[in-house]
Amino acid sequence: MNKAIQGRLLLLAAIFLCLQTLIITLSPAVRLRSWQVDYRLSQWIGLALWGLFVARAHYDISNKLPDADPYLFPAAALISGWGVLTIWRLDPNFGSRQAIWLAVCLGLLSFGTRLTSLEFIRRYKYILLTCGLILAALTLIFGTNPSGSGPRLWLGYDELYLQPSEPLKLLLVGFLAAYLADRLPARLRTIHILYPTIILSGIAILLLIVQRDLGTAAIFTALYTIIIYLATSRKRVVFIAIVLLALAGLVGYYFVGIVHSRVSSWLNPWNDPVVGSFQIIQSLIGIANGGILGTGPGLGSPGFIPVAISDFIYAAIAEETGLLGTLGLLALVGLIITRGLRAALRAPDTFRRLLSAGITAYFGIQTILIVGGNLRLLPLTGVTLPFVSYGGSSLLTSFISLLILIHISNHLDIDPAPLPRPQPYLALGTLLALGLFASALTNGWWALIRGPDLLTRADNRRRVVEENFVQRGLLLDRANTIITTNRGEIGKYTREYKYVDLAPVTGFTDSKFGQTGLESALDDYLRGIKGSPTSTVIWNSLLYGTDPPGLNVRLSIDLYLQSRADEMMVGESGAVILMNAQSGEILVMASHPTFNPNYLAESGARLMTDPTKPLINRATLGQYPAGSILEPFIQALYGNAPTSDIDTNFVYQTFGFFQAPQIQLEVAPAPLPGGEDSIIRVSPLQMTLATASLSNHGVIPAPRIAMAVETPIAGWIPLPALGNPITALQPEAADEAASSHLVVDLTYWQYLGRAQEDQSAFTWYIGGTPANWQATPLAIVVLLEDDNERLAERIGKELLTDAMHP
Amino acid sequence: MTAIVVLILRVALAAALYAFLGWALLILWRELKQQASFLASQKKPGISIQAMLENGRQIQHLFFQGEITIGRDPTCDFPIIDESISAHHARIAYHHAQWWLEDLNSTNGTYIGKSRLSVPTVLISTDKFRCGNTSFVVQMQPTDESLSAVIEQQNEA
Repeated sequence: MNKAIQGRLLLLAAIFLCLQTLIITLSPAVRLRSWQVDYRLSQWIGLALWGLFVARAHYDISNKLPDADPYLFPAAALISGWGVLTIWRLDPNFGSRQAIWLAVCLGLLSFGTRLTSLEFIRRYKYILLTCGLILAALTLIFGTNPSGSGPRLWLGYDELYLQPSEPLKLLLVGFLAAYLADRLPARLRTIHILYPTIILSGIAILLLIVQRDLGTAAIFTALYTIIIYLATSRKRVVFIAIVLLALAGLVGYYFVGIVHSRVSSWLNPWNDPVVGSFQIIQSLIGIANGGILGTGPGLGSPGFIPVAISDFIYAAIAEETGLLGTLGLLALVGLIITRGLRAALRAPDTFRRLLSAGITAYFGIQTILIVGGNLRLLPLTGVTLPFVSYGGSSLLTSFISLLILIHISNHLDIDPAPLPRPQPYLALGTLLALGLFASALTNGWWALIRGPDLLTRADNRRRVVEENFVQRGLLLDRANTIITTNRGEIGKYTREYKYVDLAPVTGFTDSKFGQTGLESALDDYLRGIKGSPTSTVIWNSLLYGTDPPGLNVRLSIDLYLQSRADEMMVGESGAVILMNAQSGEILVMASHPTFNPNYLAESGARLMTDPTKPLINRATLGQYPAGSILEPFIQALYGNAPTSDIDTNFVYQTFGFFQAPQIQLEVAPAPLPGGEDSIIRVSPLQMTLATASLSNHGVIPAPRIAMAVETPIAGWIPLPALGNPITALQPEAADEAASSHLVVDLTYWQYLGRAQEDQSAFTWYIGGTPANWQATPLAIVVLLEDDNERLAERIGKELLTDAMHP
Repeated sequence: MTAIVVLILRVALAAALYAFLGWALLILWRELKQQASFLASQKKPGISIQAMLENGRQIQHLFFQGEITIGRDPTCDFPIIDESISAHHARIAYHHAQWWLEDLNSTNGTYIGKSRLSVPTVLISTDKFRCGNTSFVVQMQPTDESLSAVIEQQNEA
């Protein structure tokens, strides 16, 4: 009967792992959306090893231990196989090592079924624990770390590493169970009996504290408390342990650096996402990316989660199998715990009862500690997830513990030992169940409720990876000429900027330097999540875990005029804007010096610190003193009134200089009205809008740069202006102001101005079409970070004439 | 296309995981049900308890349940109006194929002969015991099997 149950469960586990292996094999095909790809095949070796050794262990267990619990081994086999595949998917090198370790562990399990009794643990308890302590103490002298840095908790020989604190856990549980089972019936005063256990456990915990392996020290303390409580059923023990742990935590928080940083990155992770809380935030982003269904094995980006193969394997599993997978994983741990506690209650004597309950507590507490750490339910401790995480010592300890549990569960024929006080066992079961339940709830919280927020964080590097696989929308000029496109093939898409000089306006999208300009402002359209039907967005996220294909956006830029402006601005610092004064459409927006976004990888770091600030879009973000360019506006407002009547703040107010323009670009914050001495700085865009009001009968238009978006269903859909037109002047006053600056013999008006601040001089040129102009009214602003009226006039004049007479 | 194939595989993957868990739970539940019906189907022999009160009144009850409480409280299975008997005085329970008499921390104690009961004690037919000032005699009803055994013995005799 038991053999049949165990066999059936193992078959289901094998189906699960086969499907997972198959999906990992096919994952490159999904990513590249083609059947002609290099499939991932190596992890089948891991699966084959698993199948071979699990079958052998199943055969041995059902023959040698026919009455053993049939749920323990299949559950452990499933999650350890899951661990191997997850590690293999992250790093085939570590995956193959873990598969070999698993084979060794399963072989040991098979061999261990031949044991006839566990009495040797009871008899040699002091020797066993002392050996464990000596090994742990040796790491103080000979300790190394396989990764080369970090705490030296391992003993190494050649390529083989042992972490003595792992087996020490089991040895401590064995010692306590054996010792207490022998002594407690004596019913002396409990405290006298406990002295040796306090001394030996204290040595172990001190060793770990000295090595800064605080997570394991916490587990040791918890295990010690639980076993003493199980054996004596005195609640006092638990209270004392809780008080001591709280005190240790407080002292650690205030005096020990590592405890302080761990606790504060647990309490306030959002304050320090780059250094202190990097791990936990990346873990949460991974969990959020998994959502309910997960991206599918091999299809997520768990490689972005730090130490994903060991400490954060739970987050890696959550990303690729989603909440559905992790709930199953927690349920499997719950199954192991339930069956372990059942074996404890049915154990034929106190020694085996304490031993099996202690092992169950070790599985449960360690799982909850690291899963809670991954989920920010508990402070992060670097312990492993039993059976799943990478690490030979951890896997070996888990499987030896499992072997002991299986042995103890194999005694159905003998009546269980009497249990005078069952409360401690029930309390342990409740504690572990609550821990798993809380983990499940927290997992749901991050995956569902906080998920969308987490995924939009700038430190979620998955978005950039997605863009290698999904075409981003194109940027087009008003005649549909391509400004920005994608090059390369699927999996290697990179942004290509055809019209390089527009770089400060279009901005860039880059994994290292982030997003700027239109690439940032129009990101939702360019990534296709806005404008595409909701069903498309959901379907793409379900199938590929990516956004749908991006939508193209048409800009109001006229590439011919833009190139004229850029030619004339070469070598200068400043900005040029040419605007349709009526509709607010921006025909030219030039900012110089400019840069080449196609070579951001090589030059990005230098550009960031370049003193000429080429990355800044001077047209919208630059702020310059207005100086004498304010004259035509004062005149339009006050006519020829005496200087004493003029309120400059009112002029700024009327022409909208105290308001930040609303446009799909990052703009400089609006200046505040100032007193007598303070200088008010305005951006070229603000100046253009004010200039436009003189050519547009006193109305300031709402600026526009993104004109329309090409949706898959409705075709081109216009994007409305973000702001509204504002009436600044009476039409007559505006028309008169424009005509008073008309250029002799020509059909446009212009005004040149100068401003001075500290040692820098600035030249402004404004101009536009007159009131009686029959075609499109235009407004132009040229700003040079230089005292060069001739050049400013030349640029303004040529551009305006070109635009007026196409 | 590739993604649809893999999506189906992903659904199957989740199904396999939950098939494992579901099947394990189903078997556990079946085991529980089996055990429950096994316990329910265990035949308990009837027991007749006769009480002789201080005033000489005799009360006799026949029980077929596995657990009988004796006491002054009217919710007891065998309520007795006697000031010397506690509210829940003693319990007679059937387990391990025996009837056991157990004192429930009564004030005046439960006695078999002269000795006061401190641990559960096995009762056999015609045993006498005393709670407070009331004495009791138990008569086991033979189960079908023991009845047939008795008949066999008689036949042999």
